[in-house]
Amino acid sequence: MTLLWIPLLSLLGSIISSMTGKLSRNQSTTLSLIMPIIALFMCVNMAPAVFAGEEIRETISWLPLLGINIAFRLDGLALLFVFMILAIGILVIFYARYYLSKNDSMPKLYSYLMLFMTAMLGIVMSNNVIQLWFFWELTSISSFLLISYWWYKSEARKGALMALTITGGGGLALLAGLLILGNIVGSYNLDIILASKEVIQASQWYEVSLILILLGAFTKSAQFPFHFWLPHAMAAPTPVSAYLHSATMVKAGIFLLARFYPVLAGTDLWFFIVSITGLTTLLFGAYVALFKHDLKGLLAYSTISHLGLITLLFGLNTDLATVAAIFHIINHATFKASLFMATGIIDHETGTRDMRKINGMWKFMPYTATLAMVAAASMAGVPLLNGFLSKEMFFAETLHQQLLGSLSWVIPVLATVAAAFSVAYSARFIHDVFFNGDPIDLPKQPHEPPRYMRVPIEILVALCLIVGIFPNFVVDDILVSASHAVLGGYVPEFKVALWHGFNLPLLMSAFAVMGGILIYTQRRYLFLFQASLPTVNAKKSFDNAIYVLIKWSQQKINAIENGSLQRYLMLMFLVVLLAAGWPLFEMNKLVGAKELTPIGLHNALGAALLMIGAISTVIWYRTRMVSLLMISVVGLMVSVAFTRFSAPDLALTQLTVEVVTIVLLMLALFFLPQHSPRESSSMRILRDLGISSALGIVIGSICYAIITRPFESISDFFVANSKTGGGGTNVVNVILVDFRGFDTLGEICVLGIAALGIYKLLGNLPLFMPGSDSEGRPWAKERYPVLLASISQSLLPLALLVSFYIFLRGHNLPGGGFIAGLITAIAFILQYIAHGSNWIAVRLTINYRKIIGSGLAIALFTGIGSWFFDKPFMTTWFDYFDIPFIGEIELASALLFDLGVYITVVGATLMILASLGELTANTPKEEVNI
Amino acid sequence: MLDTVILIVFAMIGISLLLNVWRLLVGPSVPDRILALDTMYINSIALIILYGINMGTELYFEAALLIAMLGFVSTVAVCKYLLRGDIIE
Amino acid sequence: MELLYAACVGLLVFCGVFLILRSRTFPVVLGLTMLSYAVNLFLFASGRLSLNSAVILGESTKYADPLPQAFVLTAIVIGFAMTAFVVILSIRGRADLGNDHVNGHVPENIKKGRV
Repeated sequence: MTLLWIPLLSLLGSIISSMTGKLSRNQSTTLSLIMPIIALFMCVNMAPAVFAGEEIRETISWLPLLGINIAFRLDGLALLFVFMILAIGILVIFYARYYLSKNDSMPKLYSYLMLFMTAMLGIVMSNNVIQLWFFWELTSISSFLLISYWWYKSEARKGALMALTITGGGGLALLAGLLILGNIVGSYNLDIILASKEVIQASQWYEVSLILILLGAFTKSAQFPFHFWLPHAMAAPTPVSAYLHSATMVKAGIFLLARFYPVLAGTDLWFFIVSITGLTTLLFGAYVALFKHDLKGLLAYSTISHLGLITLLFGLNTDLATVAAIFHIINHATFKASLFMATGIIDHETGTRDMRKINGMWKFMPYTATLAMVAAASMAGVPLLNGFLSKEMFFAETLHQQLLGSLSWVIPVLATVAAAFSVAYSARFIHDVFFNGDPIDLPKQPHEPPRYMRVPIEILVALCLIVGIFPNFVVDDILVSASHAVLGGYVPEFKVALWHGFNLPLLMSAFAVMGGILIYTQRRYLFLFQASLPTVNAKKSFDNAIYVLIKWSQQKINAIENGSLQRYLMLMFLVVLLAAGWPLFEMNKLVGAKELTPIGLHNALGAALLMIGAISTVIWYRTRMVSLLMISVVGLMVSVAFTRFSAPDLALTQLTVEVVTIVLLMLALFFLPQHSPRESSSMRILRDLGISSALGIVIGSICYAIITRPFESISDFFVANSKTGGGGTNVVNVILVDFRGFDTLGEICVLGIAALGIYKLLGNLPLFMPGSDSEGRPWAKERYPVLLASISQSLLPLALLVSFYIFLRGHNLPGGGFIAGLITAIAFILQYIAHGSNWIAVRLTINYRKIIGSGLAIALFTGIGSWFFDKPFMTTWFDYFDIPFIGEIELASALLFDLGVYITVVGATLMILASLGELTANTPKEEVNI
Repeated sequence: MLDTVILIVFAMIGISLLLNVWRLLVGPSVPDRILALDTMYINSIALIILYGINMGTELYFEAALLIAMLGFVSTVAVCKYLLRGDIIE
Repeated sequence: MELLYAACVGLLVFCGVFLILRSRTFPVVLGLTMLSYAVNLFLFASGRLSLNSAVILGESTKYADPLPQAFVLTAIVIGFAMTAFVVILSIRGRADLGNDHVNGHVPENIKKGRV
């Protein structure tokens, strides 16, 4: 279970650090550091096995039928990323301790940072593509939270929103691509997908899936033309930029390229898209970086350019280029993170990031300056530093490709140009900030930062140097094993070395350095030229695009949603009519093969009464009281129909529900106007009659078509097993409490939720109460007629007895918890009607919410109880006992479950009716015309 | 013999149910209609019992029991509404 | 008999839908109740109609289909909960909006007394 613990520990860290709000800053940092450090140790522990070529896997079944499992794997590539994520994460957490001011909430930053860490670890270690996507979206969300850390700043909010929109949109494309990929292969398991290169590339869906996945990767890795969110994300605190926007999140896109390289790469389409995008981004980023006056802006564009470089390497069609790409991932993370941290120090100590103001820092912070200069030199690709090594490999690989046919020489030339610009902006970073005269108008007097703030930078810069001078000593193992994973088992011979002799790549490096210095010294002309170009404000165009989109959708929504329920209902009924009516036209014969039963006198009578009731309800619908009486006839006849067609349980339920419905509608009648005004135009009535009669005809025909056809039912199983498996002879009840008990549990939950919703709706309800009845007569003076009070009181024990009887026999004869619950509720409602709420409140203090809760709890725990006997949820137990005098009786756990149903039904029904009644209990009614 | 009796009784119940509906439809006052509905409940008890006798089963008798008990409650609710408007006060 | 049954279901659907399309809340509640009768009968009928064959083991030789019955039983109870919710919602709507029109406001021409 070790693999699972790595993301889990970081998630745990996130939770722990969110709770350190009351502790001191040092304690908070220490506590936050514990979990990632443990995770790093575990990772180091596993490293030798991975270097030896092993791939560690762990799987927990989740939705095995859909092929979605929680699956983790650790191969060379994942190990490299896990190392980077954890190590740089730890340094960033440590650094942030000194970066944040006293007013900033440390636990908030830490818990978001570690949430992000969890997400990144999840991406790189996932062995299931759906799970990978889940973590991918989690990085988008946690990065949104991190960028908007200073939520009160407008640019932070806008930057966060932009990043979320772009990367989240890319995430959706990625999901589509991954789903297609999973469909082609027939599995979402990464192992299986990675082993099916031929199947995937032969599929006609390959192109679509490739483009969608690349969209995901390019948006995340800020490739041109999706790059613009990254500079705006610089509104985040600098530790966040150091972590997300240099070392990890933007590398998630690169990781995706590397992960799917074995199956997606190798085609012309891949190389065309990836290399051209990479090359464009490389050049564009390097060029724009030079003109940025904001330190972080310069670094942001430099990051874009380096990400383009890595992407280009993946697109170059050679194995060695892939090795170089992985190497550059490591190098870029080290020097860029340290540069961001150095920028943070400068920002922290001077109060600004504007390079036109910050000059001559060498005098104030020589130590920091040295560190930053080494890192910047690495970024420029100066020998003895790690940036030089990977850049050399890059140059060598650009020379080996044959991508553009006879024009292939363009790529190394452009690469050299980009490298020259990269030298130029690195030179600008060093020269402008640390030399170039004196500072101008600084808000603060700069000086060296606190001692420990520099420690993370020292570590990273030391790494730059060590890798740069002794490359084989440090990175060979991890580079080989990561390349092994990306290239699918085959690793080309390569030698990372400082000195390869005089060759073409070295010449290109020399040209780049000289060109860069030339560009920097002559930058005035370039700046003038750049200023003469029209400016493109990415934020503004993005805002405009979003605004237009929202306005467009709002218009569409308004066009459909005009606030009229009648209109929505009409549209919905029309859709139902079309959907349900269409198949009828394609059916040859409505009547099926089943033998028809003759119409009995019983049926004719019942049907006649039902039809009369229904039609008169419609005729008298304006006189509400009368229509209510008419609909009672329909309800009564429906119950009779259930008895007629062999469903005694349904008849009982329908009868009891009928009574509570009438009570409820009586309440509605009182609180709503007593008449409906005549307001539909004749045309409207004609239209409604048309829709409803068409629907009636269609549904009636479907019903006729169904009941006249013979069918095969799965119910034989229930009939056969009801007694032997469920211990009851009433099959309907056994289905409810046993076979499909889980459904019933869901239904009583719905009932409880509806009752609670009603309770909430009734809060602070101002009521309209008419002072007289619909014909203007005043209400009777007597509140509680004596006759009614005494009869109903004697009826209560009787009704409870009946409900107890119905409840107990439910398992074997018609009855059960639903019906018994309703009878009990009605018995109590009668007391409410006869005596009023206050009379009840004195005699019976009950909290209906608690009753509903306990009913649900009983049902749930009965179900859970079977776990203690190692049986699946809701396995029934029953046995027969011989009790003296009473005889043999059956005890079943289903009875307990039914008790839960009973209690919930009682609680919910009473809560619905009684809480409405209680509202008026204490409002003194205006006694009109006494 | 029993069949003939059942048929005759059924005819009588049927006629009384139809008469109930007649009263329910023509009214004229609301108490008239309520009375008609209440009587209709009583007649449905008879209908269900008769059906049970006809089929030779007693499974449906509880339905009759419930109509007897609960029909009273709905009639009470409607009457209380006529008297006081607010049925639970 | 099947024809009669289907006709009843059709008629209930017709009445229910017509009432649901009315403009005041009370008829809509009545319509919903009516429609749920229709739906329950419809679902119940998917187990086909059979006389004198209640699914109580040992009481008869042939049995009706118990599964639709079990579903309809819970549907009746849930239907009640839903009706109750709609009733309370309409009471609340009337209290908050001052009228019982389903669109939340009475159209201008009605207020002025023209139809």
